[in-house]
Amino acid sequence: MDLADFHWGLPSREQLEGYRIWDSYFTPSHGHPGKDGYSGVLAEMDRARRSALELGRFEKLCWFPHVGIGTTSDPAFESLVRAKPETVTKPMEYWPDRMLGMIQLNANDVPASLDALDRWLRDGPMLGVYFPGGGPGALNCAHANFPRLVERIIDLGGVIMQHTWFITGGNPSPGMSTPSDLAKLAAKFPDYPFVCAHAGGEWEKGIRAVRDQPNVLAETSGFDATAGFLEMAVRELGPERIIFGSHLPSRSLGTELAKVTAAEIDEEAKRKILGENFRRLLGTA
Amino acid sequence: MNRRHFLQTSLAATAVAGSLAPRAESADDFPGILDSNVSLFRWPFRRLPLDDTEKLVKKLRSLGVTKALAASFEGVFHRDLDTANARLVAECARFPELVPIGTVNPTLPGWERDLDRCAAEFRMPGIRLFPSQQGYALDSTLFARLLDRAAKAGLLVQITVTLEDVRTQPESLVTPDVDLAPLAEAMKQAPRARVQLLNLRPRASQVAALAAIPNLHFDTARADGSDGVASLVEAAGRERVLFGTHAPFLIPEAALIRVHESALAPKPLHAVLRENAERLLS
Repeated sequence: MDLADFHWGLPSREQLEGYRIWDSYFTPSHGHPGKDGYSGVLAEMDRARRSALELGRFEKLCWFPHVGIGTTSDPAFESLVRAKPETVTKPMEYWPDRMLGMIQLNANDVPASLDALDRWLRDGPMLGVYFPGGGPGALNCAHANFPRLVERIIDLGGVIMQHTWFITGGNPSPGMSTPSDLAKLAAKFPDYPFVCAHAGGEWEKGIRAVRDQPNVLAETSGFDATAGFLEMAVRELGPERIIFGSHLPSRSLGTELAKVTAAEIDEEAKRKILGENFRRLLGTA
Repeated sequence: MNRRHFLQTSLAATAVAGSLAPRAESADDFPGILDSNVSLFRWPFRRLPLDDTEKLVKKLRSLGVTKALAASFEGVFHRDLDTANARLVAECARFPELVPIGTVNPTLPGWERDLDRCAAEFRMPGIRLFPSQQGYALDSTLFARLLDRAAKAGLLVQITVTLEDVRTQPESLVTPDVDLAPLAEAMKQAPRARVQLLNLRPRASQVAALAAIPNLHFDTARADGSDGVASLVEAAGRERVLFGTHAPFLIPEAALIRVHESALAPKPLHAVLRENAERLLS
């Protein structure tokens, strides 16, 4: 046996390129981008390069920049990024034509979030929003602050992604949302898509919680590569309601890509999940 | 040497070999992967796509696995462990790749006979423990006695740190990860014991502390992150890390791709994929 002939559990390079993978959940330095506003993100992009680009053949990766509206616990960083907003887009310069951005919103601070929507979505170059599940920007999405923000995001045509978990053991973070919370919010805007990040982590409950709310899509990253996830998600939601995320580099290509490529689902479903559905949400399909 | 330096060294060595894909010295050098962490039969909380042994073995073969240490999900939950171990032996006998690893639960009366049968009658090279699910700690007298007896019988002891991320476990049966703090003292009392931790989500500081324990080994099943396996090898030492998938509960491709992502140089790569496990079993 020769290791040089191994496929390592990966589809061929041609097959991966054929999927046209658009990663909806790229998390370099997710909690804090570095004191200068970007160097931590660039370092973590380097850390992910082999997995995402060389092996995974990703076409695009979407990350979630902090834009100075209180989504970190670092006042110095928050001031810096407000004074020098050009630091926010450094990752796009680092990997030109590769990076997409959806800003982290702070639903605890509606005026600042509305301003940020104008600055970053209306005026570009960001394409949507991410509501975090932890840190000072987290707020349960059933809170009354959400509809006003959602209405403005809809006006601007941005993608809406909400971090979700059903924690069965351990401690939930303050402000965390569950897929059930997101389904209730999404029911108020039935014609607009919402992305349920991590499918709730405990995905058997997560899938059940959103399946009757057809405008909610499930994102695939953030939990171990538990077998059977995609098979149930495709069966219960349909392949059009699932989008791939890598959670790189804190998670791995192995954990996240194998959930899709090794699942017992057809190739057309894999193509939709790995890129086509996210492109549709972004309006670029 | 820090993680980045280690990784760069590994990448450089691989590049010198002429390809990003790790290369054996000749085509017949590598006898195939040894998966140190497989389970057979049904997971009680959901059907798994590979919970049929034939299908699982077919998948493992397709990934280059030629030997797998297989325990039984029945061992976690059954109390008549002797019959569970016997069924495991019979199932493994159907597939040349599968090596049965019995279960011993030291909280059950007469566990010593289960252990002795695993070694003497079933000719198993090791046993797998489930302390959290079966309710004992690593500083208990029961564990100390078991470790000593297993060492005397020449059995590898696999300690399952967890079967599933605590955050996603069934609500009626949430069990924390095994507390590993007492392990150093327990192994000091049984210096001949050979122990492997399964399904640990390795964190550098914890692994560095655990790596100070002689004869302690790790598996890769939950070594996550784009450089997770390289970081584990760096922290634990390349002789201490064994490839493991935790299939069929986890998707086996996930563990294999992670090894590839970590871009190990040929020597540590061979060690992780096969040699360390062979040495531990010998």
